[in-house]
Amino acid sequence: MKKIFLSLAALAFLFTATSCNSNDDDGQQEIKIPGITFDGDVECCSVEEAVQIYQFLQTVNIIPELTTVIDGQYTVSVYNSTGTLHTGYNDLYFIANKVASGNYIKEFSVSGISPVMLMTKMNMKHSTPISGGIKSFNSSFTAVKHGWISFVMPTSESGYWTIGYDANVLGHKGSLAAAEINVGALPAGQEWIKSFKSGDNTYYLSLVNPTSFGTGSNDVQAYVSVKSPVAVDPYELASDEFVIDIDPRMPDMGNHTSPDNSALKRSTDGSYRGTINLTMTGLWRIHLTVKDLQGNIVAGGDNIKDGFSSLFWDVTL
Amino acid sequence: MISLFLLSLATLQGDTIASPSRQIDEVVVVSNRQGGKRSIKGQVASIDEHLSQLSRVSLVRRGSYAWEPMVNNMQTERLSTTIDGMKIFYACTDKMDPVTSYVESGNLQSISLNAGLNGNPQATGNIGGALDLRLRKAGFDADPFALSAQAGYEANGHLQVYGADAAYSSHRFYINGGLFYRHADNYKTGGGYEIPFSQFHKYNAFANIGVRLAEHDAVEGVVIVDHAGDVGYPALAMDVKRADTFITSIAHRHTWSQGVLDSWETKVYFNHILHDMDDTKRPDVVIHMDMPGRSTTAGFYSLLAGSYKRHSFQFNADGYFNRLFADMTMYPGGAAPMYMVTWPDVHTYNTGLAATDDIMLPNNQALRLSAKLAWQQQYLCNHEGYEALKVFFPGIDDHYQQLTGRIATSYSLSFSSSILSIGAGWGCRAPTVTEAYGYYLNNTFDKYDYIGNPRLSNESAIEANAAFKWQPSGQFSLDVDADVFFFSNYIIGSFEPRLSAMTLGAAGVKVYHNIPHATIANASLTAKWNITGSIQAESTLGWATGRDDAGDALPLISPLSYSARLAYHKKSLLVQAEMRGNARQSDYAAKYGETLTAAWTVFNLSSQYSIGNFTIRTGIENLFDRLYSTYADWNEIPQKGRNIYINLSFDL
Repeated sequence: MKKIFLSLAALAFLFTATSCNSNDDDGQQEIKIPGITFDGDVECCSVEEAVQIYQFLQTVNIIPELTTVIDGQYTVSVYNSTGTLHTGYNDLYFIANKVASGNYIKEFSVSGISPVMLMTKMNMKHSTPISGGIKSFNSSFTAVKHGWISFVMPTSESGYWTIGYDANVLGHKGSLAAAEINVGALPAGQEWIKSFKSGDNTYYLSLVNPTSFGTGSNDVQAYVSVKSPVAVDPYELASDEFVIDIDPRMPDMGNHTSPDNSALKRSTDGSYRGTINLTMTGLWRIHLTVKDLQGNIVAGGDNIKDGFSSLFWDVTL
Repeated sequence: MISLFLLSLATLQGDTIASPSRQIDEVVVVSNRQGGKRSIKGQVASIDEHLSQLSRVSLVRRGSYAWEPMVNNMQTERLSTTIDGMKIFYACTDKMDPVTSYVESGNLQSISLNAGLNGNPQATGNIGGALDLRLRKAGFDADPFALSAQAGYEANGHLQVYGADAAYSSHRFYINGGLFYRHADNYKTGGGYEIPFSQFHKYNAFANIGVRLAEHDAVEGVVIVDHAGDVGYPALAMDVKRADTFITSIAHRHTWSQGVLDSWETKVYFNHILHDMDDTKRPDVVIHMDMPGRSTTAGFYSLLAGSYKRHSFQFNADGYFNRLFADMTMYPGGAAPMYMVTWPDVHTYNTGLAATDDIMLPNNQALRLSAKLAWQQQYLCNHEGYEALKVFFPGIDDHYQQLTGRIATSYSLSFSSSILSIGAGWGCRAPTVTEAYGYYLNNTFDKYDYIGNPRLSNESAIEANAAFKWQPSGQFSLDVDADVFFFSNYIIGSFEPRLSAMTLGAAGVKVYHNIPHATIANASLTAKWNITGSIQAESTLGWATGRDDAGDALPLISPLSYSARLAYHKKSLLVQAEMRGNARQSDYAAKYGETLTAAWTVFNLSSQYSIGNFTIRTGIENLFDRLYSTYADWNEIPQKGRNIYINLSFDL
């Protein structure tokens, strides 16, 4: 997932770089991207924009099961760092291509993303937390869309996942119908999604990309989602606002902890953000105490036998 | 023409005889040349045993091997240790390898000590004192061929020592070299209790070469390779798999036979230390860990010495680069390994200028002035270690600069039967890498994990000293000596309750801080009698105190110490009886995790007899098999019980 951050950084850098080099058109004819013909199509990206996307795509991998073709003219493809999915939070990057030229479509939209788990033995279906909409990576740059799915469980003998979504490319509507896809389990020492109940609701806490954590001070991002009344509907972000205290501990080192961790608080984009300090690599159990805005404990903070919250994420660096 | 060898001998004698002001400078002679103090065990004695001959030196002992010298009750961080003027820095975050452990007795001519701020020209950061380990070079125009061999055996711990060296010398060329091997099993304390994990072995090889390029120009080279392995540290939780060093230097020396200038020596040097700890042999290890440390130093110095009228002066320019890296990987059973950088690849660039002047004044007065100014830059080159430190010190830089200096003066006045000397100095030191950037270094002495503090200020001290030697006749002399160090910004760890210990079982976390002031004072009284021409008696009494800013005791300060010695010397026979002891350490530093050490007294017998080219030395240490530990024995690890030794040396 570090690759994603690098590629996002690369994207951000390239955007700024182009803004500095906007009248530097001399080299335009020289640029060639494999599989893309530049024909001045206004629906598609300019050469500079296409280069940025192409470079970004070098840092990610396609998830082949999630590609769909619309009217034989456009393809919509989904990428992430590994090209596979796993339990917990997964980034998804959507890109649309014009079949004729191979070039990237400047503006399109993706909606109705619906992951569904079919539990074959119990013949029950349920969904899982997803992002609140599929958004452009950057408001001035619309050719890459970003969303996420946080899987509550992996594919197993007792059930499998399907994913569908709708896309609208320049008025051409299409969709991917419930494609079966494998969701891998996380290795031991990694638990990135946890749930708790409050009132009638079940909430899910999804930790975003903790593999980017390193020794030192790390920004933490997480989402709080709520289970839908109809279980098969995707779980949207919770409207209730919480404050989540974090207490990182090393169970293998006598529950050693680090100083100056800051609680996760909701930011304007709907995600929860805070800071976690990790003094070394290894297994960190991040004990969670969820509070409402009045400071009342909603979940966790229950001090089980080792004195720490039973609600936790595990991250192994 | 004064040969280089004679020059170096003159320098050697300079430490013992020509210190004009005060007997603050001591020398212990390791090899078989004349002058200075020496260990009764001869060259077979370990470096640590040689060091213990210096009256201002005491040794922190964590096992049988690699004792840490303290001078004036100050440890490594307040001392300078150089090897023939070369900087070398230990590579173990737990101080298992004071740099004196990387040489062997066979390598050395002598160990000189400049007490207090009056250091040797290459010394930096020496508030308590400066040790210089002088290498044993055959020198030009020495005996054409020399051969020596030593073997030693000590019953307690089955210590075996074997050494051999050879030398060739001519007017234009010299070469000498040798090999040394030591091996010890576990030793037994008084009462016969075996101390597990007190074994070690050590190999050492060295060579010195000198080539005279012209009558007044010579080039000298040195190589030392030292390996210690399977070293037990019974006072610590870990042992050492290996501690290896490679030391080399090449020097050019120009001498003048007349004029103001006497000699100009320029040396470039390099040394590299590998130090790997080991806990695989310990039972009940909760969590196995690897803790390697690496230290690399490269540097130079250029020393110009001369004399003009009453002045005898030295100017020195030096510079060095040192790189220290240490990390730790812990392996919990079944789970992911845990890794941390404990010394974040600290690159230190240090450059300094020093000058000393010894002035012989009329009417038996002498004055010594010395000063050094050094500028240091440090870079934290390991990103992970730097990021980890930033958790504790947000916003810190990865680049630091320190300016340090010292200035000292001493004055002496000789009367017909007495010498009075007084001295004063000011100096400061930069924090050590451990103090500034160390990361979760567990100190088994007070059971705390220590974190360095990059925001430390330099520590400084004002020193005042005085000595009086009264020698009413050739039969009797009395020496009184005292010094006091007033520290500002004294660096010591203080408990941070908000931080969580890392080491299992640690009491908490301490972070190094500057405390506003501290005081360390030492005083000693020495009396010597020549009872008859062949019987001598000597007695010493030592007192010290250390106080922090709250008036509480500092750790590792010697309690009242005493010794008495009676020696019978006739022709080639020397027989000696010795008593040494400490009073109860009632003034221990409970605040800093120190515990009370009981009083002890031990008796030693030793003898030496020379016949032809052979010298035999034998004796009994701790005659009454007393079970005891000293205040400087880490975690009160008991000293050796009764020990019978026999050494044989052969010199040709």
